[in-house]
Amino acid sequence: MGIISGLRARLRALFRRTSADRELNEEIHFHIELETEKNVRLGLSRDEARRLAISHFGGVQRVREEHRDVRRLQWIEDFIGDGRFAFRSLRRTPALAGAAIITLALGIGANVAIFSAVNAVVLRPLPFPSSDRLMMITEENPEKHWHLNVAAPANLLDWREGVADFEDVAGYTDGAGQTTLTGRGDPQLLNGTFVTGNFFATLGVHPQLGRLFTWDESWLAQRTQAVGQPDTRPHVVVLSDRAWREHFGSDPGIVGKSIVLSGTSYQIVGITPPGFSYPVEGIDVWRSVEWNPAIRGAVEFRRPHWLRAIARLKPGVTESHANAQLQAVVERLKREYPGTNKYMGAAMMPLHEFLIGDTRLPLLILLTSVAFLLLIACANVGNLLLVQAAGREREASLRLALGAGRGRLVRQAIAESLVLSMLGGACGLAAGWAGTRALVRLQPEGLLNVSNFGVDQAVLAYVVLISLASGLIFGVAPAFWARHRDPAEALKSGGRGAGQSGHAKRWGDLLVISEVALALLMTVGAGLLVRSFWQVRHVDPGFDSRGVLTVRIGLSRAYDTSSKILGFQNQLIDRAHAIPGVTNVAMTTSLPLNGPAYTSDFIAYGRPAGDYGTEVSNRTVSPDYFATLHVPLKRGRVFTSDDQQNTTPVLVINEALAQSYFKGQDPIGQRFAFDKVPTPKTTWYTIIGIVGNEHVDGLDIAPRPEVFHSLIQEAYPYFTLMVRTNGDAASLTSSVRAIVRSLDPSLALLGVITLDRVREDSLARVRFLTTMLLGFAVIGLVLSVVGVYGVLAQVSRNRTREMGIRIALGAPAGRVRWLVVRQGLRLTIAGLALGTVAALLTTRAMAKLLFQVTPTDPATLIGVSLLLAATSILAAWIPALNASRADPAVTLRSD
Amino acid sequence: MASANQPDVLRGTLDLLILKTLTLEPMHGWGISARIQQFSKGVLDVNQGSLYPALQRLEQRGCIESEWRTSDNNRRAKYYRLTASGRRAVGAETANWRRYVDAVELILGIA
Repeated sequence: MGIISGLRARLRALFRRTSADRELNEEIHFHIELETEKNVRLGLSRDEARRLAISHFGGVQRVREEHRDVRRLQWIEDFIGDGRFAFRSLRRTPALAGAAIITLALGIGANVAIFSAVNAVVLRPLPFPSSDRLMMITEENPEKHWHLNVAAPANLLDWREGVADFEDVAGYTDGAGQTTLTGRGDPQLLNGTFVTGNFFATLGVHPQLGRLFTWDESWLAQRTQAVGQPDTRPHVVVLSDRAWREHFGSDPGIVGKSIVLSGTSYQIVGITPPGFSYPVEGIDVWRSVEWNPAIRGAVEFRRPHWLRAIARLKPGVTESHANAQLQAVVERLKREYPGTNKYMGAAMMPLHEFLIGDTRLPLLILLTSVAFLLLIACANVGNLLLVQAAGREREASLRLALGAGRGRLVRQAIAESLVLSMLGGACGLAAGWAGTRALVRLQPEGLLNVSNFGVDQAVLAYVVLISLASGLIFGVAPAFWARHRDPAEALKSGGRGAGQSGHAKRWGDLLVISEVALALLMTVGAGLLVRSFWQVRHVDPGFDSRGVLTVRIGLSRAYDTSSKILGFQNQLIDRAHAIPGVTNVAMTTSLPLNGPAYTSDFIAYGRPAGDYGTEVSNRTVSPDYFATLHVPLKRGRVFTSDDQQNTTPVLVINEALAQSYFKGQDPIGQRFAFDKVPTPKTTWYTIIGIVGNEHVDGLDIAPRPEVFHSLIQEAYPYFTLMVRTNGDAASLTSSVRAIVRSLDPSLALLGVITLDRVREDSLARVRFLTTMLLGFAVIGLVLSVVGVYGVLAQVSRNRTREMGIRIALGAPAGRVRWLVVRQGLRLTIAGLALGTVAALLTTRAMAKLLFQVTPTDPATLIGVSLLLAATSILAAWIPALNASRADPAVTLRSD
Repeated sequence: MASANQPDVLRGTLDLLILKTLTLEPMHGWGISARIQQFSKGVLDVNQGSLYPALQRLEQRGCIESEWRTSDNNRRAKYYRLTASGRRAVGAETANWRRYVDAVELILGIA
């Protein structure tokens, strides 16, 4: 208790210094007054008594000082004193302080923005209760080269029933599908996904209104099925908070009402809490899968793979234990269903890890890049402070000579750095906050799963940390400088305030070298990505994207027969052809670059058993598809309107398939089926033509074997209309909209986008990363050039006298300039060498992101080195010019 | 009242004298110095210059507490009061002092 009250007194004294002084004054007055009265009582005159009392008391000022000394917490006072002193000295050099703070704000701001992204994506836990118990289960199939694949519903159900460690396993369709909301004014596009009834319960989400799905709702009622009656329960839908607000005006009585989605009526059962959107941002509606219990044992339930599976572990269960149980089930399924599951494995990983996925590497690279940027900024500021320290040499030497402790000088230097870094940190936080906003806007959809990230406690803590750290980093040089100063030496030469000491110069050189090395590293990283981006952009996609508008259309359940669908599609084609300027019209189930519609096993007729293939891409297209996209026909023919539902089923294949599976044979006329082992029920297709390869999975992924089905022979209610024009594709948008509306007013267009845009969007991620990295590299480069300039300017200032003498003695200006430039070059080359070694060792980490560029690409390394060397010479030129203009008369007189 | 032949209180003993004085009752600074003078029958004169820093020191060590009160003659004064740990310190310090004095006596007695 004594200690606490003592401490309290100290703290009170510290923070209320003036009031403590006042109290002491009052106490002394009181004392002297009593003493005076005593003296008066002893018979002295009032004046005499007072004089005596004061003299008896002794030096009032000394008492005050001693009093203060006792009460202050020495080090904090010193610290504050140092801080104040630092502020004052920074105010004396506003240009330097401003430059330092801006530099730091840049470095710290970039770090804040990138760290907020890392924080939101990687560090912050998923917003679900006990989210560490949530696992993602993926299908792994070595035969089909599947990794992290979606699951077949039957497999998911078997895992759910067979693994005791799982509290529950739920499924959902990955990503957002689109659906049309009708019956409420204009048709509206909504993002939706299908989930199993236990989806919300497994995640641990509770409704803000109504209820969420139950497991029963995944199934059409068994009871009524048995007696052959249809399930009379309504279809059900859950709305997101956002959809509820935007489309239904937050109607509190919405639960129980019905809406029409893509022509089917759904009853709204509940609203999810604000902010919940899974599996991706922007989901409006969740619908329950509706499985017929009869399908449970059917192969059609085990062959198509389309569900993401999330499991919740029971409390206290370890991941490895659950995984062992899962693998046991997987082995059993392999034995029981060899036709579908012979090679079908399953893997389990924490859901968070799965969602971070391939965002990790880009974020890591960005984080490294901004860390380098901050280091360069630190080196620059360190340099500035060194220059400043050199300018204050005399002041410091004098203080040393007068007995100031070296420790005190070091502390002073560090205090100055910390004040700077804190100011820089504050500005950096503001810049970073703005940067975060920009990042959210600029990021391509899906790169960062969380779009609402921002500045939170973790980010604040990070800012304080890196500000302190950078303060210490750039404070080291001036602090050492302060430590190693020899007052005698300094005062001797101090009259002229000339030459930097060896220590300071060495530090300055070291800073420049490391700056150049870091800038090289950053620029090489960015350069590699730029080169790679260039290569990808110039890949021939195999189709002509110019002048094509694409429109995604989904027909409602009213189109329940092939002839209805074909009727609509034919009308659509005819009307689109009538638009002025339109040259071709076609349809496909999946656009190139957007992945296959589906993949399958296959075999050609007459091949020995086992000579089958897997994972061929399937797309279904209208006859004019190839002409519309300018995909060249290599051999045979493409579909015509003669290929009808009642004629032989035909296929067009691409060259990749012809070369990989029909090596040395003519595929045309061969019969082809989508089975590993043909059965009497197998449908045989006849191959009629071979077309050129298109990039289906992305420009950076080699074209894969593909087969095309005829959209006339196999009608699909979901397809993409493609319209080619001689002019600007985007200008067709309104006419196409009008046509679709006139054909069926209840249809919303699920997506209108030019094919050029599709192509650009497929590069969005790599473009984003490249742009960011390039931006940081440019800033880093500029900072390092400024650093080189700063050091050389100092050098040339220090050597003004020498230069003056040289010129007086007849040295040509060019030679004097060369002296300065040479020094700049020497440092730059050392930096480049160091940076090159570092680059050779580290760029390997980027290999996965590079396309047709090796991480040690010599062209990039040499190009970047030359660029840096050139800019450094440029930076050296100004001080060199100044040096060569030294007027001997002036410099010698100033002595 | 001070005069030349009055010894100042030895530096190390001032704390002990203050604490001992405060065992009687809470007092203000002048009161403490007056008491010490009075008890020592005028022999010891507290150096005022060291009294207030000493009080501050003792307060920080937690031996005494202070508060502003109205004095007998109706003026505001800062009163110091012994804390529990101060009370313990008096005991310990007194014992120390006795040992010290005995030791000095022994040495002086040799001659």
